[in-house]
Amino acid sequence: MLAVERFSRRRFGALVAAFAVTLVAFSAPFGAEAGSPDAGKLPSKIPEGTVLRIGDPETQRALELSGLINQLPFKVEWANISGGPQTIEAFRANALDVGSVADIPPIHATWTGLKVKIIAAKFRKEPVAHPIYQLGIAPGVEVKTLADLRGKRIAFSPGQAQGALVLRVLQAAGLKREDVTLIELPSKGDAYPVALASKQVDVAPIWGVLVKHYLHQYGADGATTIPHGLRDDPAHLYAPQAVLDDPAKAAALGEYVRYWALAARWVQEHPKEWIAGYYVATQGLNAEDGQYLVDADGQFDIPPDWNDVIVRQQSTIDLLARELNRPRIKAEDLFDRRFETIAANALNAS
Amino acid sequence: MITPAVQARKTATRRRLALGRAIPFGALIGPAFLLVIWSIGSIAGLIDPRTLPAPWSVVGTAIDLLAEGKLQDHLMTSAWRAAQGLAFGVLIGTTLALISGLSRLGEAIIDGPVQIKRAIPTLALIPLLMLWFGIGEGMKVTTIALAVLIPIYIQTHSSLRSIDSRYVELAQTLRMGYGEFIREVILPGALPGFFLGLRLAVTYAWLSLVVVEQVNATSGIGYMIDLARNYGQTDIVIVGLVVYALLGLGCDGIVRLFQERSLSWRRTLAD
Repeated sequence: MLAVERFSRRRFGALVAAFAVTLVAFSAPFGAEAGSPDAGKLPSKIPEGTVLRIGDPETQRALELSGLINQLPFKVEWANISGGPQTIEAFRANALDVGSVADIPPIHATWTGLKVKIIAAKFRKEPVAHPIYQLGIAPGVEVKTLADLRGKRIAFSPGQAQGALVLRVLQAAGLKREDVTLIELPSKGDAYPVALASKQVDVAPIWGVLVKHYLHQYGADGATTIPHGLRDDPAHLYAPQAVLDDPAKAAALGEYVRYWALAARWVQEHPKEWIAGYYVATQGLNAEDGQYLVDADGQFDIPPDWNDVIVRQQSTIDLLARELNRPRIKAEDLFDRRFETIAANALNAS
Repeated sequence: MITPAVQARKTATRRRLALGRAIPFGALIGPAFLLVIWSIGSIAGLIDPRTLPAPWSVVGTAIDLLAEGKLQDHLMTSAWRAAQGLAFGVLIGTTLALISGLSRLGEAIIDGPVQIKRAIPTLALIPLLMLWFGIGEGMKVTTIALAVLIPIYIQTHSSLRSIDSRYVELAQTLRMGYGEFIREVILPGALPGFFLGLRLAVTYAWLSLVVVEQVNATSGIGYMIDLARNYGQTDIVIVGLVVYALLGLGCDGIVRLFQERSLSWRRTLAD
């Protein structure tokens, strides 16, 4: 009995010592990083043979159409992958270096143990007048204002931008989660309009040309959409920390962010070529739908500093953490500020 | 033993128990019937064009896609992927079935894992296959091959194991060597199962496309369907489905043709 006690006490002591050593070992680099997140300078030398694996099909197309693609100072393996769930899956499979998403995927990646950082941020001018999403209302359901959402069944996808939007809309309407029924359903393809049309849900955020098609097809049956009145415009490039730690890849990513900004401007200045070369030629839409999407986009905005962006991201994190019962993380840690000014400078320089 | 009742029935009617003569183009009657129902339903307004567009508007969309050259491009990519997957899958499935069918040790090692794979949906395997094979063509072909080898294995193995022991005894009596035994008894005996497996496998190869072409693809019928879903273009989705249907029916017909040729020595209810 005594021997056992002594033994366990000794083991306990060893455990405490090990724990302390681990704590010190880990806290040293962490402290340095937290104290000055942008202390390190972004490497600028791209060694011969550097390859970036990029999942950003729209920018790829814009670079091709504008001819900018020939100027990229590194090799690219393009992947036709975008959006939260797909990019995170590809990051985990170590098959992708950078992805194009909205604001939620980097948060969710962190919550699921994958360290990632945002390296570029693009928004829309007049975001409320040019929203990405509309709230689709099922045929025969009365929702005229956000307050009417009380008691409704709302499609909800926690890991996607659509999910955060639903929570923000509820917050803006002064409603709690218990005031509505959230129906978990990933937004993939036309899943949301189909769920609305078949009255499986009463309300769902739908985007782009699906809004137009939904109203065209089911408007006669009483389908409607209402604006949510919030900004839903963040578009980010994000990369796994492991990729950012590789100096060659980090330098190449810096250059990619530059071309990403130039591509965005090219798209805005060449709507006709963009509609014909992207929406019609590769997406199988007609020119009319392409025009609709270009009009919906409005003008883009790339801010020269991320202070406001980080504040907004923090409030999104706080809302999600509270509603989804997740640990609160610091928005600051999600951004690699070494990249902060690259895109805006690229636009000013040329 | 023939009871008086059976005896009486035998003499009373001279009805043939076999199936009788084959109906010309019989295989097409069922699908044609479906098409007629679809058309009538669309004309009569019983089918909502928003949930199932009419056959002629699907044909119109298909003609548009053909004119733009998109449909044939997607089809070529898909066909090449399916063919590669099918080739590997058939080769591996047959080999595994022979090893597992002909030896107790082989069975002990191989049969379990194949049965496990059979129970796991391909869609659920995709994340793992991405981890192992990346997001390129290798992963896609591997996924198709994995789906294909299952029916080949199961049918060939089962057919091989149900070869009548009379033939095995006969081979023994004739003092056949092992090679000759496999050539003369096992392979012909396993052939009917192999062909049934092949009929299923060809369809599985096409079906897998819709799954694998959702991952980092820029062409293929599955990609075409997935892209159309992003924009709510139901008519293009249906064109894709019709293409699958035609491919399935066509490939099945081809395999059956081979089957008839190769198994012409058999006399069965089908003849």
